[in-house]
Amino acid sequence: MSKKNPSKKQFTVLLIAIAVIGAGALGWVITRPKGGGEVIDPNMPLGTAQGFLMGSPDAPVKIVEFADFECPACSEFATLTEPDLRERLIKTGMVSMQFFVFPLPMHKNTWPASNAAYCAGEQGKFWEMHDRLFYTQDLWNGLATSSPDKKMKGYAKDISLDVSKFEACFDSKKHYPDIKASGAEAERFGVSATPTLIIGGKRYFENLSYDFIKKLVDDEIAKLGKADTAGKRAK
Amino acid sequence: MTRRMIIAALALVGLYVAMYLWLFKLGLVGSLACKVGGCEQVNTSPYAVLLGRPVAFWGVAYYVAMFVAALLGTAERFVADRRFAVVLVVLTGWGVLFSAWLTWLELAVIHAVCMYCVISAVIVVIMFVLAMLELRADRATPA
Repeated sequence: MSKKNPSKKQFTVLLIAIAVIGAGALGWVITRPKGGGEVIDPNMPLGTAQGFLMGSPDAPVKIVEFADFECPACSEFATLTEPDLRERLIKTGMVSMQFFVFPLPMHKNTWPASNAAYCAGEQGKFWEMHDRLFYTQDLWNGLATSSPDKKMKGYAKDISLDVSKFEACFDSKKHYPDIKASGAEAERFGVSATPTLIIGGKRYFENLSYDFIKKLVDDEIAKLGKADTAGKRAK
Repeated sequence: MTRRMIIAALALVGLYVAMYLWLFKLGLVGSLACKVGGCEQVNTSPYAVLLGRPVAFWGVAYYVAMFVAALLGTAERFVADRRFAVVLVVLTGWGVLFSAWLTWLELAVIHAVCMYCVISAVIVVIMFVLAMLELRADRATPA
């Protein structure tokens, strides 16, 4: 057995060394300057939880998405799954999608990114900015830069916004209360991870594949068809 | 140094790894320092929450328990106590199973690997091997 003549002193020194190095490292990551991470006033009033709609408001199946512009899984969903979703389900009128931003506290640049999307939305180009942000996430996220504002303003030019109007909106931060309200809406729905999709009244936290979403949509349409038939019979 | 001492030291390292991930979930450390793998993708996924609390929180609780058990086991009065060897095997065995489940989720469901989770899994496996060796050695020793 390994209990003969244990080197207690050596052990104590080792534990102290680990404790000091570990506490030092954690202390450093907590107190280091967070660069572009904005301090959001917790007392900021709530604005309007405005979701951004894509597709026909009369589409039989409605999908609600809660996502964070700086979340890698959301970017994966937006760049890999969403193109199929748009092309095959939204453009064909089967589905509409409403997007709510849900800025997570660990992401340093998510508020400026959400702000950029809202300001692009003022000029009717929310989705163009949405795509730009997700497709270039690794160029403006908290690991890439501590000053994302310049990037956001560059994107406004890229997607042909009226840049001076965009900058006035972006710098005023007037949509911050709305972004906060959108996050509160996510919490009201019990959302704790991103992306979260709500399809047919059910929450899905996973990064769903197109095939899975298609199946859910088909099931919903089948249910609606049955309900419609039953309604006609009742009449 | 005895195996129990090494287990205690490893548990302390694991505790700091889990605390880092927990602080991330609390929004206190900004982005994770993670140049390899998809730490954020794993830690912002729905599977990073268990029973209403972040998995990292359970990791902290687990490593605290491991550290206390291993440290107590090194105390003079408990050094010969075989029950500690059994407790360490049970705790580390549970840790291995839990880590295996998390690793499976990363590979098969989330499709991203968090290097801190890998570090934690390696620590747990080493602790388990040491605990097993301790138990075997204990059995071989005549009472």
